[in-house]
Amino acid sequence: MNRLTLAWRNISRNHRRSLLTGGIVAFGFASFALAGGFMAQSFEGLRNNAIRSGLGHLQFADARLFEKSEDRTLEYGIPNAGKAVDVLRRDAEVETVMPRIEFFGLVSAGAHSVPFAGLGVDPQAEAIGSEIPKGVKQGTWLTPGSHDVVIGSGLAKLLNARVGDSVTLLATTPDGTLNAIDARVSGIADIFIKELSERYLALPLPLAQELLTVPDKVSRISVLLKEPAHETEAAMRLTHELQQAGVSLAVRTWRQLALFYQQVRVLYLGIFGFMGAVLVVVVFLSAANATLMSVAERTREIGTLRALGARSRRITISFIVEGILLGFVSSAAGTLLSILITLAINAAGIEMPPPPGSAHGFVIHVQIIPLAYLLAAGAMTGTLALASFFTARRAARAPIVESLAYV
Amino acid sequence: MNASPLLSGRGLSKRYSMGAERVAALRAVDVDVFPGDFLALRGPSGSGKTTLINLLGLLDRADAGTLLLAGRDTATLSENARADTRRDRFGFVFQTFNLIPVLTAAENVSYPMLLKPAPPADMHERARELLAAVGLRGKENVRPDLLSGGQRQRVAIARALANHAAVVFADEPTASLDSRTADTILDLMHQLNRERGVAFVISTHDARVVERAERIITLHDGEIVTEAAA
Repeated sequence: MNRLTLAWRNISRNHRRSLLTGGIVAFGFASFALAGGFMAQSFEGLRNNAIRSGLGHLQFADARLFEKSEDRTLEYGIPNAGKAVDVLRRDAEVETVMPRIEFFGLVSAGAHSVPFAGLGVDPQAEAIGSEIPKGVKQGTWLTPGSHDVVIGSGLAKLLNARVGDSVTLLATTPDGTLNAIDARVSGIADIFIKELSERYLALPLPLAQELLTVPDKVSRISVLLKEPAHETEAAMRLTHELQQAGVSLAVRTWRQLALFYQQVRVLYLGIFGFMGAVLVVVVFLSAANATLMSVAERTREIGTLRALGARSRRITISFIVEGILLGFVSSAAGTLLSILITLAINAAGIEMPPPPGSAHGFVIHVQIIPLAYLLAAGAMTGTLALASFFTARRAARAPIVESLAYV
Repeated sequence: MNASPLLSGRGLSKRYSMGAERVAALRAVDVDVFPGDFLALRGPSGSGKTTLINLLGLLDRADAGTLLLAGRDTATLSENARADTRRDRFGFVFQTFNLIPVLTAAENVSYPMLLKPAPPADMHERARELLAAVGLRGKENVRPDLLSGGQRQRVAIARALANHAAVVFADEPTASLDSRTADTILDLMHQLNRERGVAFVISTHDARVVERAERIITLHDGEIVTEAAA
């Protein structure tokens, strides 16, 4: 008969209380694991949104563009951008290279004129590296060399424009003069962020350069990597390759640029951390209450064991072993419960309302995160062990004659 | 008795708090326990029998007086050393048996052996042998709740002898038993005392214990009134 056998028998001694305590721990575990899975989904969604909505894994630009805003269109633009794009596209680790021009202007359709945030893009590269082409719900994405534009659904609503309509784009060139061109709406895209949806207008890079009268100049170049985990090494290598080709550009990783992602991550971690702490306190109090009752019921037994020669430490450890064992078993039950609930939630296809700043909701897909499960098991088992320690230590040190006389 | 005492108490005193009052449970008692003794402590309730057993068995500390164990002052022993002494040299039998309910009879007997730093290799064999010696052959795997009162007390006696105790302290061992069972339990203790040379110190109201005792100490109000050899 070893300590574990003895601990298991003591746990089984009062089925109801052990089941109740184990149930609390299992539900605590499930809450922890599910929250972790939901949080992981949120982080992954935010990360993909950030990368696929234009940031890419890496961005190359004039260093000043990363520090301050431009006073004039393409003030810090990359001249001879084609050369830089060619160098980047030759790298085996690069999935796609997306040169972009960012500018502001006024778009008119019939009697309506609305300011827009223009994005000159390489249509084919964007189709690979950006989510926006996939968000075109009416019409089609841009075709290279065309005089087409794709506008956000919000902007389409403000302009009262439909696919196939003609629009006129008006913008200020880098030298301060006004220029205008005509274009056709080829598609209307769903953009997640409402404010962006009301301003979004994409057009092929040559058309944007024609409007702004800046041949072969872009604002920045986004790069999507085949292996995102190697972004830091890739940034160094690509910068070196550009320098060898005589192009000097600054580089930033998406983590450095995605401030929204970082802020939301910190906020989520804070919220879930607080909830986790509350959960641990609730489990601790429940476990302490159950252990306290168990210790009180076994006071005479503790006195007997000490009379037989068991040291206080041994008795305290035996209660801790019971706590740990109950924690393990409950965590195993919690694992099963978490997986079942996760499968049920994912199968139900529950749609969440749009998060702040977004035009669309999202379907919950809770992930199974082994680390969250391990942390939950550790937190729950540790809590039970701690509760057992505090309650048992005192009883194990009480005078033996008092323990033996306990009724 | 010509042998040196195993336990020698001199001027043992103990007071307990009862509400605001401090009540003297023992008043400067002198007592010796010799190897192979069969000593009965008798007296009315509150006379100090249990308190004296608790002090002699190192379950409690005296407020005054000295207690020597094989010539060594027990006051110098740490709590762990007292626990080790109880494990290695003493056995205890309680009025309400105090068996561990989740353990079988054999496991209850084995438990004190498990407390040793190196449990004996023949632990299970010894537990079976002790249970057989107290008349419980075949009950090794039975849990206490399925045993009668007499059988439980036999398991408790076997457990008290598990680590070759020199002294077994029994506090009212027959008080929870019917008279016939009490007789057999007392006979068993007496037999073990004679055959194994284990000293028994028994606190009791029971006249049958006194009949079997070799020495009888009578206590009253925490003092020894008489001490006599049978």
